[in-house]
Amino acid sequence: MDDLTREFLLESQEGLDRMERCLTDLENRPGDTELLADIFRSVHTIKGTTGFLGFSRLEALSHAGENLLGLLRDGKLEANPDIVSGLLSLMDILRGVLRSIETTGAEGESQQQDAAIIARLEELQIGEAEVAVAEPALSASVDASTQPAKFHKPRATRRRGHGQSAPPPAQTGEAGPPMEAEEPAAGPQTEPRSVAAAQKPSSLPGRSTIESSPPETQAPSTSGTADSTLRVDVELLNRMMNLVGELVLTRNQILQATNADAGFAILGRRLDMVTADLRESVMKARMQPVSHVFSRFPRLVRDLALGLDKKVRLEMEGQETELDKSLLEAIRDPLTHSIRNSIDHGIEMPEVRIAQGKLVEGVIRLRACHEGSHVIVEVHDDGAGMSIEKIRQKAVEKQLVTPQRAEQMNEREILQLIFLPGFSTAATVTSVSGRGVGMDVVRTNVEKIGGKVEVDSRAGKGTVLRLRIPLTLAIIPALIVRSRGQNFAVPQGSLTELVHLSTGENDTRIERLENAALYRLRGRLLPLVFLDRLLQQSPREPGAPCDIAILNADGRRFGLVVDGLADPEEIVVKPLAAVLREIGLYAGATILGNGEMALILNPGAIAQNAGVSLTAEIDDVVDENRVGQQDFLLVETGNRRAALPLETVVRIERIPRSRIELAGSRPVLRFEGALLPLDDAASDFMDAAGDDPTAQTTVVVCRDGQRHVGMTVSQVLDVTGGRQLEEAGSGLVADGITLLHEKVTGIVSLAAIPPLENVVERATIESAEEAR
Amino acid sequence: MNDTHASPTQEVCSVVVGDTLYGIPIAHVLEILGKPATQPVPLAPYFVGGLVHYRGEVLTAVSLRRLLGMEPAKKPEDVLVFENGDGLFGLFVDSVGEVLHVSAADHEPNPATLEARRQALFDGAWKLKDRLLVSLEPERLDPMRLASAFSA
Repeated sequence: MDDLTREFLLESQEGLDRMERCLTDLENRPGDTELLADIFRSVHTIKGTTGFLGFSRLEALSHAGENLLGLLRDGKLEANPDIVSGLLSLMDILRGVLRSIETTGAEGESQQQDAAIIARLEELQIGEAEVAVAEPALSASVDASTQPAKFHKPRATRRRGHGQSAPPPAQTGEAGPPMEAEEPAAGPQTEPRSVAAAQKPSSLPGRSTIESSPPETQAPSTSGTADSTLRVDVELLNRMMNLVGELVLTRNQILQATNADAGFAILGRRLDMVTADLRESVMKARMQPVSHVFSRFPRLVRDLALGLDKKVRLEMEGQETELDKSLLEAIRDPLTHSIRNSIDHGIEMPEVRIAQGKLVEGVIRLRACHEGSHVIVEVHDDGAGMSIEKIRQKAVEKQLVTPQRAEQMNEREILQLIFLPGFSTAATVTSVSGRGVGMDVVRTNVEKIGGKVEVDSRAGKGTVLRLRIPLTLAIIPALIVRSRGQNFAVPQGSLTELVHLSTGENDTRIERLENAALYRLRGRLLPLVFLDRLLQQSPREPGAPCDIAILNADGRRFGLVVDGLADPEEIVVKPLAAVLREIGLYAGATILGNGEMALILNPGAIAQNAGVSLTAEIDDVVDENRVGQQDFLLVETGNRRAALPLETVVRIERIPRSRIELAGSRPVLRFEGALLPLDDAASDFMDAAGDDPTAQTTVVVCRDGQRHVGMTVSQVLDVTGGRQLEEAGSGLVADGITLLHEKVTGIVSLAAIPPLENVVERATIESAEEAR
Repeated sequence: MNDTHASPTQEVCSVVVGDTLYGIPIAHVLEILGKPATQPVPLAPYFVGGLVHYRGEVLTAVSLRRLLGMEPAKKPEDVLVFENGDGLFGLFVDSVGEVLHVSAADHEPNPATLEARRQALFDGAWKLKDRLLVSLEPERLDPMRLASAFSA
């Protein structure tokens, strides 16, 4: 393909994109001359260039569109949904032809289709009076035949240009000269829903059923930007990104080497700044506003709503939010899926909405915003919401969970079930959705790019689906772990927490069930994967200290046992050669700040390789809606178990027992320049320390109102939720005790530690001060 | 410049692995990395010596020692960078020597007595004055090719 044609394709593609946006806007503002002029320009440009390049089919099609648009622009005709539908259909065909040119170099043949659409556009020019009669037949014939495909997958629609859509011309042909058709001729041959859809516009002449976006986001200031922007090959940007990464490393090395010479050091710092700026600029060059993806949705919503006979308004917010281009591409499908779900399952039929006292028009809100190093994209609908009971039943029915398990699950856990493969609650499979490949695909796609999906739903109120997407793929935060002297990077996205096991501890804390190693994390057994064994590295000596990185990947939770942890770092992901990709456990490689290389581990693949089961996650969904539950730090003091309310815990310190001092009769600890009163048991620890200066104890620093107090404990056991206990008969909530791990446990009363001022004489404090 | 067809001599980069001298046509060598930092890849095919950092890319480097079934090197090795269909790849050798001019007339095919694995890797040898220079073609060292040839 020559450059001219390629340029033409890009330009036309953009023109059609702009046209699509404008057309859906046009339905709300039929008289907006600026919009019309914009659309007219897009079509006119295509027509002009096609004539020059010799694409006659495109020329004929765009000519027909231009004629109709000319009348609209000159105010001789008022835009109505039928005209918009007609123009949108024309656009789909144009897209098809463009695609055909792109792949085969030729326009492709579909004369019948062309004739049909040109005829339709000509009829639309005749004006509203006549159109009102002719239109039902026409739009029924065109829409009916295209809708099944269109609603199934919007992409399929645009491919119609390849001549696979014989039906519409055939039907139009049967109907004879359609203008003379007295009755909706195509009606009997079409599906009932399509007829309804087609007739709808004529029953509400001139009124739009869909608004694409709120007014503040509409004003498309597309003109003017063209001069200040430049098309750049993404490959080139990738290459630049690599070079910048290289520059960063060279800079680091120079900075280390320049420590000796002062003048050189200044230059080095300057290089440092320039490099940082350059890196940021190159990253920015890859960013695109989410409106690139959002702009397709007004059309999608319009078509879906018409097809389902529902009234839906799409509101969009935060379209200027920018995201890396590759990520933008990656969220297109999940978002389309979610919107389709919202319209099909979420938004109710108009009569249902009225009966429930809702506005007839359902609202889908699409919102994008920044949150830290993530972009949040929300799909919110005010539809029926999801029924927890239905999901529960469905999950049991489909044997995704056992009935017993389903009974125990709370609302939040139940909602997570919709992300399991093979789950669909749609009562009937519609052409739009409900085939059971839905939410799990959304989740998989989003997790593939390091993102997360959350769902929240209230029956009767609506559903929110929240996609959390990292800002860029090229650079990800990761934790560097070490295994047998080698570095490995674990993406932070799947890391939930870290556990350190000191020498000897790993013998006792790691439990075994046959061959499976398990770690008891807050009372729940977590499967362990030993990185050195997984990678067949030389085995670590037993009893050596190790760290467990608790990972959650694709719904699988497990602990990865490594030798040690290094710093978290922002890493640039480098692809691996095919021979190494085949190993399957690595997501890539990276070069660390110190110049060393590290392999990036793929937690999902590791979990799968080790056979960690999927359902493990459901057991462990963090439960925020517990009623009557409070989290406690479970500690052991002496031989007694006690509970400390977790919200009072400030920090946990290991201190030598010799640091516990007596102020008067009270044990105290000098802590961050202040005096921390300790509980009575601290004196026992002092005594127990005896002559051993290395003996240590654990102090839990707690907040008690305004003051801080310390609890000396022999061991911190766990963090766990406690249940209130009621006295038999009276039903009164028992004070000072709670049920932890099914054992009645006393709650430590922090107030029982007497304030220092009452107990300690001034002199004692002074002597304590002197001792410092 | 030194096309084998046009001229009887060509330039080869000489490398040493073990006691053998190998020659690789210089036109194929993109760059020579002197004792770079390397990163082993656990579970990789046996012939992969590790990863090497080259101009912002992480290259997979084939170890000639491992390919030939020799003991791993005791000292840091040099790496030659080549291009293949998949991108770039490296080759670990004990050390890189000087560039030699060899004549096509001095080239002999692999002897029939050579073990099969080496038959597949070597492309004959040049007779130098006092010793042999084994001819290596980077194409045959492509990790993708090796993977399909040896893991099967």
